[in-house]
Amino acid sequence: MLFAVTNIPYPSWLNPADNTWQLVAATLVGLMSLPGLAVLYGGLVRKKWIVNTMLMVFAGFSITLVVWMLWGYNMAFGPISHFGATGSFWSGFVGHFTPLATASSEQGQAVSGANSLIPFHFPTATLAYFQFVFAAITPLLFLGGLVGRLKFKAWLLIVPLWVTLIYCVNACLLWGGGFFAQKGAVDYSGGYVIHLSAGVAAFTGAAILGPRRWQDRENAFPSNLMMVAVGAGILWLGWNGFNGGDPFYAGADAASAVLNTNVATAVGVLTWLLMDMFFSKQKKPTFLGAINGMLCGLVAITPSAGWVNGTGAIFVGLIAASIVWVAWNYLSRIRPFSKVDDALGVVYTHGIAGLVGGLLVGILADPKMTEYGVAGAHFKGAGGFSVAGWFYGHSFHQLWEQFLAALWIIGYTAVGTAAIFYLVKFILGGLRESDETLAIGDLAIHEEEAFPEPTFGEPVLSPSHSHSDNV
Amino acid sequence: MKLITAVVKPFKLDEVKVAVREVGVTGMTVGQVRGFGRTGGHIEIYRGKEYEFDFIDKIQIEIAVTDEQVEAVLDAIVNAARTDTVGDGKVWVTDVERVVRIRTNERGPEAV
Repeated sequence: MLFAVTNIPYPSWLNPADNTWQLVAATLVGLMSLPGLAVLYGGLVRKKWIVNTMLMVFAGFSITLVVWMLWGYNMAFGPISHFGATGSFWSGFVGHFTPLATASSEQGQAVSGANSLIPFHFPTATLAYFQFVFAAITPLLFLGGLVGRLKFKAWLLIVPLWVTLIYCVNACLLWGGGFFAQKGAVDYSGGYVIHLSAGVAAFTGAAILGPRRWQDRENAFPSNLMMVAVGAGILWLGWNGFNGGDPFYAGADAASAVLNTNVATAVGVLTWLLMDMFFSKQKKPTFLGAINGMLCGLVAITPSAGWVNGTGAIFVGLIAASIVWVAWNYLSRIRPFSKVDDALGVVYTHGIAGLVGGLLVGILADPKMTEYGVAGAHFKGAGGFSVAGWFYGHSFHQLWEQFLAALWIIGYTAVGTAAIFYLVKFILGGLRESDETLAIGDLAIHEEEAFPEPTFGEPVLSPSHSHSDNV
Repeated sequence: MKLITAVVKPFKLDEVKVAVREVGVTGMTVGQVRGFGRTGGHIEIYRGKEYEFDFIDKIQIEIAVTDEQVEAVLDAIVNAARTDTVGDGKVWVTDVERVVRIRTNERGPEAV
């Protein structure tokens, strides 16, 4: 042995494999936002809206990280503020409004209500960054419902308010050891906290914001399908970190979560593809349809990734993509869906898929799929943890808990998002860019366009060229 | 002197170029244009929604020729660009009053 144990430059509670995987997983999830969602959404919007959409993604990511460091992490995952009697709803509502800013708060061993079973083997900085990339992608997902008319300044206010008041509360309630977590509702990686919530927020926000210009709706053909392919591919493979990172240990359950995620997604792609080929009006296999199916599979397996077996994962992809396909093609014609301009359809591929996936946990979760399997003196809790759905446990208990948590997420997100949008509307005197600005798009808002073309000859002399300092 | 303007299917440009060279044309100007004629537009489907595109991509070719060249060039273009289907395009001829070659300042048919 070249190195004595005492020379290892980190504390004994730290496991380098767990820490490495957690940081890699977090980075994969971060890539889903940057550049994943930036180019996916940029490719799906009209050419005149690419820059605006991509900048909102980058700005939203940045704002969420600052919020996360200053108070978000501790509100969602820090020690819980007990506003009410122990065990009551208010005693498990949200954490403290405190920053994550000291050396010890970054380098100390991660502790969180998110996992009271066995201790984390990495520092708080790892957990905080991992949880940040989830917090960041959520507003970026519901941005998909708002693109093409939302005022840029409004977005800069909506993100910090929404992350603080909606995301942190939902994350604490389901993951941070809050009320629904204590009741027994589970959400493996965010089918509820992230996707159902993002779908509801997109729908509510779009309803308050109003529709895009009719010209933009009628001519809503996407700007670039190759960029959609790049973004969608990064989302799919990035999801290995999304779901594979949520056991918090680089163990067997991380591996099964990754495999299950991919198989559910593959089935989602194929389900949508076949439904397009045989049931759609045009009977054509479409690339963007396949991408919708991919999203359905990814989103729906998220709440159950490490708790269902392979058969369960196949059913999750099949059921979710079928239901969302029907919703996309038929529910969208019925009020209120027909009346709300959810620009990229977030309420379907994230909202409905997240809801279906969250409920399927209560049906398909296999108690033999063990998330934490080791018990013993070194571990805080009993050790073993798994979830039993109706199919294996012959009880509707889990489904009922999943149902109650879904009701909360839908109700709270809708009411809270509405309050935030009306507040921002009041502060700024409106949520929409002016009609003249909307007619032009990127150039009017940013003086930039996605494909700048000095069409003929040299670019014209710019004002800065004629400035005396530059001559 | 005449200006021959042809609007043809994009994939026919190369054949037209070869054909008019063979009858002595030394230069042409081309541009990507869009338009509609009797063909009508086409449908594209994105995310389950149908979009009707009225304008179809075409190539517009402009060739300046002397009066004697006109019939031969017209034949060359028509033969090269024809697929016998709707949407093969049009060719028309207009009078050209004056032509100047910038490098030499030559005027008239010599400049064509």
